[in-house]
Amino acid sequence: MRLYRPQPSVLHPHLREAETIDVLVQLILNGIMIGSMYAIISVGLTLIFGIVRVVNFAHGEFLMIGMYAAYLLSHYFGLHPYVSALPIIVLLFVIGALVQRFIIQKLLDADEYIQIFATVGMSIALINLALLLFGADLYAVNAPELRQPVPFGGYSLLVAHVVMFVCAIALVAGLHVFMHGTPLGRAIRATAQNRNAALLMGVRVERIYIITFGLGAACVGLASALVVPLYPVTPTIGSYFVLTAFVVVVLGGMRSIYGAFFGAMIIGIVDSLSGYYIAPDLKEVVHFVIFILILIFKPTGLFGFGRGTE
Amino acid sequence: MKGLLRAAFAAGLMLSASSAWAQDAIKIGALYPFSGGLALLGDESFRGLEIAIEERNAAGGLNGKKLQIVRGDAVDPNQAVGEARRLTSVEKVPVIFGTYSSSLSVAATQVAELAGIPYFELGAISDPITERNFKNVYRTNPTARVFASEMIDSLIDVIAPALNVDYKTLKVAIIHEDSLYGQTVAGYQTSRAKEKGINLVETLPYSANSVDLTPVILRLKSAGVDVVLQTSYQNDTVLFFRQMKEQGLKLKAVMGAGGGYSLRDTLVAIGAENMEGALNVDFTQYRTNTKAAPGLDEFVKKYQAKYSTAPRSGHSLANYMGAKIFLDAMAAAKDLSSVSIREAIMKVDVPVGATATGWGVKFDEQGQNTRVAPFLMQWQGGELVTVYPPEAAVAKLKLGIGTK
Repeated sequence: MRLYRPQPSVLHPHLREAETIDVLVQLILNGIMIGSMYAIISVGLTLIFGIVRVVNFAHGEFLMIGMYAAYLLSHYFGLHPYVSALPIIVLLFVIGALVQRFIIQKLLDADEYIQIFATVGMSIALINLALLLFGADLYAVNAPELRQPVPFGGYSLLVAHVVMFVCAIALVAGLHVFMHGTPLGRAIRATAQNRNAALLMGVRVERIYIITFGLGAACVGLASALVVPLYPVTPTIGSYFVLTAFVVVVLGGMRSIYGAFFGAMIIGIVDSLSGYYIAPDLKEVVHFVIFILILIFKPTGLFGFGRGTE
Repeated sequence: MKGLLRAAFAAGLMLSASSAWAQDAIKIGALYPFSGGLALLGDESFRGLEIAIEERNAAGGLNGKKLQIVRGDAVDPNQAVGEARRLTSVEKVPVIFGTYSSSLSVAATQVAELAGIPYFELGAISDPITERNFKNVYRTNPTARVFASEMIDSLIDVIAPALNVDYKTLKVAIIHEDSLYGQTVAGYQTSRAKEKGINLVETLPYSANSVDLTPVILRLKSAGVDVVLQTSYQNDTVLFFRQMKEQGLKLKAVMGAGGGYSLRDTLVAIGAENMEGALNVDFTQYRTNTKAAPGLDEFVKKYQAKYSTAPRSGHSLANYMGAKIFLDAMAAAKDLSSVSIREAIMKVDVPVGATATGWGVKFDEQGQNTRVAPFLMQWQGGELVTVYPPEAAVAKLKLGIGTK
């Protein structure tokens, strides 16, 4: 993919070439860090979309729930956000499983738009529930040590970002091992490939769906504990991340967790570069243009399996 | 069918009975967002009106008649129109007060104008509200253009002298969230800056939903900016301050246009030590010299007695001040027709420094108060204190951002 890169002398005549390259490297590093945040969220979305075949519009609100949970745990019990990751992952797994069992499962044979209405409705309900409980104020977890810059060969990265990057890689690697090395993982993959055949082979498809939805939500649980030191929580915080996550999922081929990972990195870097070299308010334009181009020219995504791989 | 008709008839009777009962009170329409996302500050704004009305009722009401508030809940522009119609045609209120949010006000004022009902705007800042040649819309608070000009002028009159430099040597950048609020204020800032010959090196809009402002900050850093003027909500203010520190961007001054800069939650999220020295131009807040804002203390006392909490923002104060001006004008009018009220309002003449916000009042033909300007404030030791103009100031301007 080619990136727009104007002549430095045009935009910033007072800069020397070396400084321009410094800025470029810093922007790319920064993009990778932001990308790993999108990766964790998008991997969860991909699991739900790729296996349960439901577009979960409430994904961002799951993130919001996780972030409020992290805030409450830190505020009332003094738990460090990274320590609270464990209970939050469990909480989100349970929420995801319950949503699948009691809402989505009843709609599995309904039209797709009915399922979409269900998740959109859930999203609106959750935002308003949060408004009711917490008001429109913002809450921040106090963890300044995670926002300290770490020197990295002359550039600076944040502690929280580095942790996020490591977690993103660990998550994808962990899911790979789980999907390929355990009977449950194989059953999940079988279900994704062909629901009916899996059913004939004795896979309890409905249970697989419940577990998968739970896993997808649990990824968001991990994301929320990692994100909460960086961003204050508000009822609408989910919408900050989830639109981009949808772009990432499409870019990554909708069903591939590796695709989601690399898609997230690409979007993170594109965001960062276009914000600097084009204009900060146009970076969404850039990534939605990419989104449209992919839908037109490679609807299976950069890492898609191709059509008809059901 | 018969039963339905009978029920409708009975309901009609009840309605007419209740309006007959309320005839010895004067209904006052209060149009604010009482629910939904804008509810927090909408309700805060309404409290100012409520206190002003209670004050007037305690003093005998309006020409011997008590005032009775009829609320309209304006969640979004559509509902603002619907509720304004209900207030003017069903409730038949003689006047409406509102609205906190500009988009709601723009919509609701059109209904009031068509109905010939005076509409008193106490908090929305969008300029066009009083630029449409309406005959029934009046506004006491300053507009976005005044906010923007005040920011540029403070740069020239306060900040450059404090830094001991010629203001034309300062490299200034405007950054703003890209919705109507940010676009409007930044537009007026740019034209004022050009008018005054300010060295504007960057203008960077960004989405308020951004999760990363590093590109913005690196642009500011590359351009060697000295002063940043930001128009922002809460999340983006928090992000800007955090990432400014992370990327080591050192500014001589940073100034906000109300919004996220005025709220305590923003300070808590950023940390008082990191936001120390941030400047802000906004409606009058509570740490202001009361000699320049007589009645401010009494307002705070009444507020605390009624709601058993300190005011949550300056919105209630601005609404209180404006409501008092309009209630006085209504009392001075010979009747409550829109013509008489307009006549009384055009006669209002209050010098600067004589109201609880410190603002004066004199309306132009469009119904806009011309004797009004926001103050310059600064976060110092976790408090938002007024630092300019001198007569309203309670503290001296400090230089630098952050305590380290």
